[in-house]
Amino acid sequence: MENKKQVFGKMEVSKNSFKTLSEPVKQFGGLISIIILIFLTFFILNNIFGEGDELVAKMKIEEERIAQERKLNKLISSLPSGVLVSFDGTDNFKLSDELYEAVCKATKLIPQRAIMGANFLNFRAHEIYTINGNKIDETFVKWDDEKNKCFAGFVVSGNNVGVDETVKVSGEALSFLSTGIDTRVYFIKNF
Amino acid sequence: MKKLIFFILFSSLIASIALARSTGCKEGNCENGYGKWIYTDKTTYEGEWVATKKHGQGTETWPNGYIYKGEFKESQWNGIGILFFPDGSTYEGEWVNGFMNGKGTFTWSDGKQKTGIWKNGSFQE
Repeated sequence: MENKKQVFGKMEVSKNSFKTLSEPVKQFGGLISIIILIFLTFFILNNIFGEGDELVAKMKIEEERIAQERKLNKLISSLPSGVLVSFDGTDNFKLSDELYEAVCKATKLIPQRAIMGANFLNFRAHEIYTINGNKIDETFVKWDDEKNKCFAGFVVSGNNVGVDETVKVSGEALSFLSTGIDTRVYFIKNF
Repeated sequence: MKKLIFFILFSSLIASIALARSTGCKEGNCENGYGKWIYTDKTTYEGEWVATKKHGQGTETWPNGYIYKGEFKESQWNGIGILFFPDGSTYEGEWVNGFMNGKGTFTWSDGKQKTGIWKNGSFQE
């Protein structure tokens, strides 16, 4: 009971001493309190809804991807326009091993003639491709770190004589077309 | 704004005319006779034509390096012909409707060969 009285007494003293403070000091104190309150609110919200370190890690990966893409685009624009090949014995621009990898990683498109060429050795794929009006479900261009080679391919699917079929054609991407803006797979060696 | 629209339309028209002039029958007779046709994707065919179709001996060159030299029937690779792949590999032999069908020899760019019967682009063991 005695302790309670003492606490209340101390609080009364603090209240009175706050009242005696000048107006600018009070306002400054209020401002500091609001700032602390805002920080606390965001801290609590971030803990509840935020992804914290995970989000930072994702942002870093995205930044690295953008930087890598910029580097590749710069390299692509420095290449001569025309056919780029990875094999010997042609009049076309011969890619070095380093450039071959970079061009492979930067390439996303596979034009129709490259698909038609690969279909020479895959009749089923050719049939589905023709029946579907040259429609392609999916194309891919991937660099294989183990084999040190670039692989490209495509997937066609559709109904062929009453049967639903999906055919994947893939092979080594050995030549590319550089348009000055982008690069495209020009020859898929699937034999 | 009107000027910009007019400029875009005019540019498109000029581009279409330029493209139309660079494609089509560029040499000879592409209806009945011997002529050279250039397609919009820069594929070319030089050879014999019958009733506006590729028919007889001819050479078709694709922009990505495939070259077919040989017989055509009804605009398709039919008969005896040789296909050069972009990497230097070749197939020489019989063709039916644009595919390796019949007797033929496939030669890889490293010199390895396979001779035999082919059906729709596949070697028959």
